[in-house]
Amino acid sequence: MLFFSFFKTLVDHEITVELKNEVCIRGTLKSVDQYLNIKLDNAEAVDEMRWPHLCSTRDMFIRGSVVRYVHLPSAAVDTALLEDATRREAEAAKNKAK
Amino acid sequence: MSFFGFDTTLPKDRGHSSNAPGFGHHDAFAGLGGGAGDDDAIDFEETYDGLGDQLDEMDDAFNDDTFGSAPQNVGKDFDFAGQTSQIAGTIHEEQMLFQARQPPPQQQQKPPIPHASKPTRTGYESYNNPEYIPQLEARADIWGLKPKQPAHQQQQHAPAPARKMMSLEEVEAMIRSQAPPQHSQQPTQAQAQAPAPVSHPHQFPHGQPQYPSAPGQFAPQILQRPQQHHAQAQVPPQLRQQQQPVHAELAGQPVHTQAPQHPTILQRQRQQNEPHVQPQRHAPTQAQTQRPPAQPRQILQNPNRLSGHGQPIQQGQIGPRGPGHNRGPSYPGMVITHPEQLMALSAEERASYLEEDAKRAKRNHKIALLAKDNGLMTPQDKNFITRIQLQQLMSATGNLDEKSPEAAIAEDFYYQVFSQIRGAPRQNPQQPANQFAQTYLFQTNSRFGPRRQGRGGDNHMQRMEQQVQRAVEAAKAKPKGKQLVIEGSLGKISFSNAKTPRPLLNLKRAETGDKHPKHPKSSVAHRKDTLRNIEAVYMTLMHIEDHDRTLPSPINEDSPPEAIQSHMEWRTKVEALHKKLWQDIKIMEPINPQSPTPHPFISILSHAKGKKAIQRIFRHIDEQERITVVTMIVVHLDQLPVVSHAVATPDEPLSPAMREEVDLFLQTVMPPLFAHISESPLNIIIGLLGLILDRTNMHVVARSKVGMDLLTILISRAELLKQSAPEINPSDWEQWTELYNRLFDAIEPVLPVIFPGNANDTGDMYVWQFLAAMGVGASPEQQQRLVIGVKDRVMETVAVSKTLPTDMASARLANVNLFMRAIGLDVELLG
Repeated sequence: MLFFSFFKTLVDHEITVELKNEVCIRGTLKSVDQYLNIKLDNAEAVDEMRWPHLCSTRDMFIRGSVVRYVHLPSAAVDTALLEDATRREAEAAKNKAK
Repeated sequence: MSFFGFDTTLPKDRGHSSNAPGFGHHDAFAGLGGGAGDDDAIDFEETYDGLGDQLDEMDDAFNDDTFGSAPQNVGKDFDFAGQTSQIAGTIHEEQMLFQARQPPPQQQQKPPIPHASKPTRTGYESYNNPEYIPQLEARADIWGLKPKQPAHQQQQHAPAPARKMMSLEEVEAMIRSQAPPQHSQQPTQAQAQAPAPVSHPHQFPHGQPQYPSAPGQFAPQILQRPQQHHAQAQVPPQLRQQQQPVHAELAGQPVHTQAPQHPTILQRQRQQNEPHVQPQRHAPTQAQTQRPPAQPRQILQNPNRLSGHGQPIQQGQIGPRGPGHNRGPSYPGMVITHPEQLMALSAEERASYLEEDAKRAKRNHKIALLAKDNGLMTPQDKNFITRIQLQQLMSATGNLDEKSPEAAIAEDFYYQVFSQIRGAPRQNPQQPANQFAQTYLFQTNSRFGPRRQGRGGDNHMQRMEQQVQRAVEAAKAKPKGKQLVIEGSLGKISFSNAKTPRPLLNLKRAETGDKHPKHPKSSVAHRKDTLRNIEAVYMTLMHIEDHDRTLPSPINEDSPPEAIQSHMEWRTKVEALHKKLWQDIKIMEPINPQSPTPHPFISILSHAKGKKAIQRIFRHIDEQERITVVTMIVVHLDQLPVVSHAVATPDEPLSPAMREEVDLFLQTVMPPLFAHISESPLNIIIGLLGLILDRTNMHVVARSKVGMDLLTILISRAELLKQSAPEINPSDWEQWTELYNRLFDAIEPVLPVIFPGNANDTGDMYVWQFLAAMGVGASPEQQQRLVIGVKDRVMETVAVSKTLPTDMASARLANVNLFMRAIGLDVELLG
């Protein structure tokens, strides 16, 4: 749930989603769910010459499993908090495994 | 037409006329005539050997004398053929039953047919086949059907065995003439009164009792029943009329049951026969008319059963359910089981009873409509569904347990805390869940709230709670088996839900630990130890922070004992955690100067996350412990990587990584140190400075930014104390002055090299700050030495600043001025 929790804080920020088929889409994150499916508003392909078929699409729903990378706005990330969240997650997983 | 040209219509579909007797019912050869024209069909003429043609049919005239066609006229003493023909059906049935029960060795029991004379080869051997049942049914002719062709009657008075032969001849005749069958005309007179299958037991030649105990004898009865019913449906009206009085009496009991046994048999038989009997009784659409005696029973039985059963009244039949499902009457008052009782009542009573009955029926009807689908699901089913729904709900909302923010934070830590720190970017991700939960709870309340008086609502709520609890437990228990491997299958099935999506990568990590035995002296092991220590510190910190959130409401004298109790427990836990934190930071480990590895606490500070932890640690430790921490850092100042490895020279500036480390240290560790020192009394300052002078390499310390900053803090604090509180013990001042002199003497040799870069570098402000701090407290003679020490640098900087743009130049000059003003000078004087 860490990534879900993390991406929820990025709602309304501009992110760039890189898909496994190399398509790169920049847009405003509108929502994300447990499967890290992503909904983008004002989406546009980073290289519209390469993927002209995406020109007409402004709102996108991206299935979480096809995402390779998400480029984040670093200012919107609290790394210390993220570290702690990671520790908690790890501890919870360890406790569950017991 | 079928593929092979046979007539595929079933005999019953063919709709033969009811007066077509005998073989007409199962005209096995009807297709032959019709199909003869087809090429594919086997032409009977071609395959028939013609033996039948050689039979002399002319001499059949005396068949009657030979075989006896009219049993009344002929004495029955020797009429075996006639008798046998009568029981032929039964014998067949028995044969079938017996074979069915004991399949293998029953071939020796031949059907009764063979004892009639028969052509050696007829081409119709199927007639010998004991399984040739349709013949039995075909014997409906003996039920008194009108003979169609009186001309043949003379020939065909022969009973069954003879009739077989007759049939053969008839078939041949039919084929020859291509005419419809005209065989097996039966006499109507004598046999019409005896329904063929059911009457046989009476006529067993051996005089067997009706319900013999011999094995296999009971079965015919069972077989008979449907047949009898079948027969009833087929009997001509007059016969039915004849039977019905009896029938009504017995309510479906076979006609020939012995009279004395009525009561018991009645019970049993009705139960068994219900499916057959009910339609007759309750379906007025059948032509059959209900006779008066049957009516009262109908009245009595129907409503009662329906009321007990919850079935709509229109359904005229209870039948298929069987009597086992029926319950008794549902009304407690007057129970009328016999029409006589009803008759005995007075007129008003009867009227009221009937009215009540009607009401009841109406009500029952309504209930039945409502409860039409009652009982489709068992309580377990409902439980199951509810649990699934609740589970879905829980995983959909993420946290149904909105009441416990702890759980929410545990699940959703980053988001929750981030929102609290920065303010949620938008409430939306949280809101739907809340709304959903509220909606859900509101629904429950509004539905059961008003009714809550009494235990009902509470009970329900309790049950719901239990349900939720169970659901939670089930949800918790479920992820334990994340995979299912079906035996014999090649793959695994992974379960997933919204909370734990199916992991795409399932890495099995080898059990960590003793594979790499520890080398206590190795730096790798030390590094790992340190990292582990840091993690332990963080875990403890988080536990403490979690625990802080659960601070119970403040208590006073009036607080209830439970509150005080919980407060005490909370305090105890805080202390325990605090103690653990103190142990985790390893600060109390003995200092061993000979050890090749630095002190564990200093090792912690050598990692970025260790540095970050200091600020949080300071928040949770008391004053004494803070002094200990500061002292520990000061004592090991020259061992800190940010000091020992951060000595920059103009030729060899710091690596970016090290600069980052230093910056991080200054951002994370220095502020708490500074905050603490800036509140410390002079004796602490004296002690710290003394430690630095005694225990550390001043050349290293003075040339690093961190060391210089720390020195600046200490000196400036002492200077502040001197100015603000001059009344302090003069011996302390003496001590301080002595220390200061020692420091000055130690610093003076390195003054030319304390600047990290050349004059063009901008990052030398801290040096000027240090020089300023030193200059403030310095004696005039010391000030002179200071100026001499850094004179070159000052001149260089002033010269450089003249080549720079105004704003940058002023910044550089301002730095220099920090020092110059401290000793009563100004860069302007140099200009």
